[in-house]
Amino acid sequence: MNAKTSSTAGRFKIYGLSIRQRLTLLICSLLLLTVVTLGWLSYIGVKKASLEVGKERLSTLTAQLSSMFGKSAVLINAATHTTASQPLIKTFLSNRGNADSVMALLDKLRLDSTWTEVDLLDSQGHTLLRSIERGQPVQININDVLGSFATAADTAVVGKIYQSRDSIYYPVIATITDNRKIRGFLVRWRLQTATPDALKQLSQLLGTNAQLYVGNRDGSLWTDLLRARESPPVDLRSGQAFFEYSRPETGNVLAALSPVTGTEWIILIEFSENVILTAPARFLKWLLMVGAVIVLVGFLVAWLVSRKITGPLAKLTHAASSVASGDYGASVPVETNDELAKLAIAFNAMTTEVRNAREGLEQKVRLRTQQLEAANSELEAFSYSVSHDLRAPLRSISSYAGILYEDYATKLDGEAIRLTNKIISNGKKMGQLIDDLLSFSHIVRKEIVRQTVDMDALAKSCVKELLGIQNGSNFKIEYESILPCSGDEALLRQVWFNLIDNAIKYSSKKEEPGIRIGCSTNGDIHTYFVKDNGAGFDMKYADKLFGVFQRLHSDKEFEGSGIGLALTKRIIERHKGRIYAEGNVGEGACFYFSLSK
Amino acid sequence: MNYNDEVEILLVEDNPEDAEITIRALKKVNLANRLVHVEDGQEALDFLFSQGAFSGRVGANQPRLILLDIKMPKVDGIEVLRRVKEDATTKTIPVVIMTSSAEEKDILNTYNLGVNSYVVKPVDFNQFLKAVSELGLYWLLINRSPTGPIPGK
Repeated sequence: MNAKTSSTAGRFKIYGLSIRQRLTLLICSLLLLTVVTLGWLSYIGVKKASLEVGKERLSTLTAQLSSMFGKSAVLINAATHTTASQPLIKTFLSNRGNADSVMALLDKLRLDSTWTEVDLLDSQGHTLLRSIERGQPVQININDVLGSFATAADTAVVGKIYQSRDSIYYPVIATITDNRKIRGFLVRWRLQTATPDALKQLSQLLGTNAQLYVGNRDGSLWTDLLRARESPPVDLRSGQAFFEYSRPETGNVLAALSPVTGTEWIILIEFSENVILTAPARFLKWLLMVGAVIVLVGFLVAWLVSRKITGPLAKLTHAASSVASGDYGASVPVETNDELAKLAIAFNAMTTEVRNAREGLEQKVRLRTQQLEAANSELEAFSYSVSHDLRAPLRSISSYAGILYEDYATKLDGEAIRLTNKIISNGKKMGQLIDDLLSFSHIVRKEIVRQTVDMDALAKSCVKELLGIQNGSNFKIEYESILPCSGDEALLRQVWFNLIDNAIKYSSKKEEPGIRIGCSTNGDIHTYFVKDNGAGFDMKYADKLFGVFQRLHSDKEFEGSGIGLALTKRIIERHKGRIYAEGNVGEGACFYFSLSK
Repeated sequence: MNYNDEVEILLVEDNPEDAEITIRALKKVNLANRLVHVEDGQEALDFLFSQGAFSGRVGANQPRLILLDIKMPKVDGIEVLRRVKEDATTKTIPVVIMTSSAEEKDILNTYNLGVNSYVVKPVDFNQFLKAVSELGLYWLLINRSPTGPIPGK
């Protein structure tokens, strides 16, 4: 079986493959298609489910954290509000009383180092008192802080985060209200730091590859609780809770947003999709492995199945080849009960039929041969009796006419002698006809004895003999090389004899009769020719040349029985050769005959 | 003609016309004077072996030449030839087959039986005359056989 790749077309031709290969290819292709489709759909499903689960978890986490932050904010706000509600502070704001005791209050509020500053402002935002541990105060314009949210009486709120130098700060602002009027503000500043412990706790809560960002609701600043960070690419005004975008360091991320109650904050948690999709990726890998195994097994099974199918086909082909080469006894074993078995049964029936037909044919041939042989022997008997029984009375006619002429010539007048001579000459002609006919049937039946024949010697001996008879001393005979061939010497001599006899006969009336004899060769075939410059013939009668008793010239012109060329043709045909002639009236004729080496 | 006289030619020919022309041809060359004509193979055998109608014939006087046709009633020329060539007293007599048949198998058969010559009778009268007279002259005058006198004497 040959799988051809056409170099000209440059593409793989499936029709060049054997059925076995094509079947395997088909099964494998289908299997591969199924595995890939199912695998891909499963993977997509699992991926989608994983993303859903991830989103769910993200959402829950964000909500939890938001609520956690919110609860802290509520506590801080409450504490700040409580201090802001102290009568001491209110009194101080109204009459600028005992500053020291208020300062003590402020210091108390700034309990630990994370609270860097506590300011008491009047309603216009002027700093009246400032409790600070050490160093510089937070350099943030307090009017910006106050203007960033709607101030309401008797409230406390966690403000936006701000960056001052390298640190992030956020204020907790409580309004100081007296008689429903805002008299001033208590502002606590806190440095946003996270202890490693806190971060660890947080990351445990969030899980790996999750990132928490805290930002202002207006998006003005973002932090990861340690330092300021670039704004995540989220549109805060869209109102969306989920976002999906790409980070250069982690790739695609899923993000969830949640505002923190009691603050001006929002928190954003990013999950890396890679982490979410770890399970689907693992699933895909597993799927690919299983798929590969399935395809491999499928390939083996397909190969075996197609071999099972094409095996009987191969046997069938082999048997058909046997039949084609003449072994009609070839049959195919029928092992199964499928379509191929039916084909095998039909094939066996066919070969049986062919065998029977052939035997019948052989029987017929034998019968015909017998009949032919019988007819042949009948013909033989006939020709025997012709030679014997026809010639005897003919001889008598001829002889008695001869005796009449010899013994009574003096008593017969001229006309009687002319008539007697007519009888004699016609008797002679009929004798010749019978002889020619007999030699014709004799040659037709004669078995050919093949041997290498020296055609040169044969032709020359015929010329010699014929010119001796014809007394043709004025003939110019030319010989070219005449190669030997295989054939029956006696019959081929007859061929040369007849053709040269014809050439001499038909050119004898020329002033300078000339004959050329030679041969040309082409592969295994020698083509001999005898060419004369005699009477020639019209090519339109060329097909009549070789018929029995067919003549192109009258007896008056040239004598002849019309047997010679028919006999010659028969001899050449019996040698499986070919004879043909070319000629022109008045210019001569050329006879060719071809024989194998 | 007395059968006990010296016989030169025994002509075995069933066709009286062929016989007539043969005798005429031999007469022309003066060879028919001592010729015996029998009309079938049986008569020929009777003559040669002095039996039947020829029982009184002296066996020693055998012909110097037998002209034998093949196709004849009763006993054919082939059979006659066989008997002649089998018998010690006759086997040296030259036998010339004169027949209309140019069949290969006849030629082969007769030569196998020891015929001395095989002549196909020409249809043409003149050729026939020529053939018969030439073979008569040859066998009786030119050829020398053990039984006959020395040619030329």
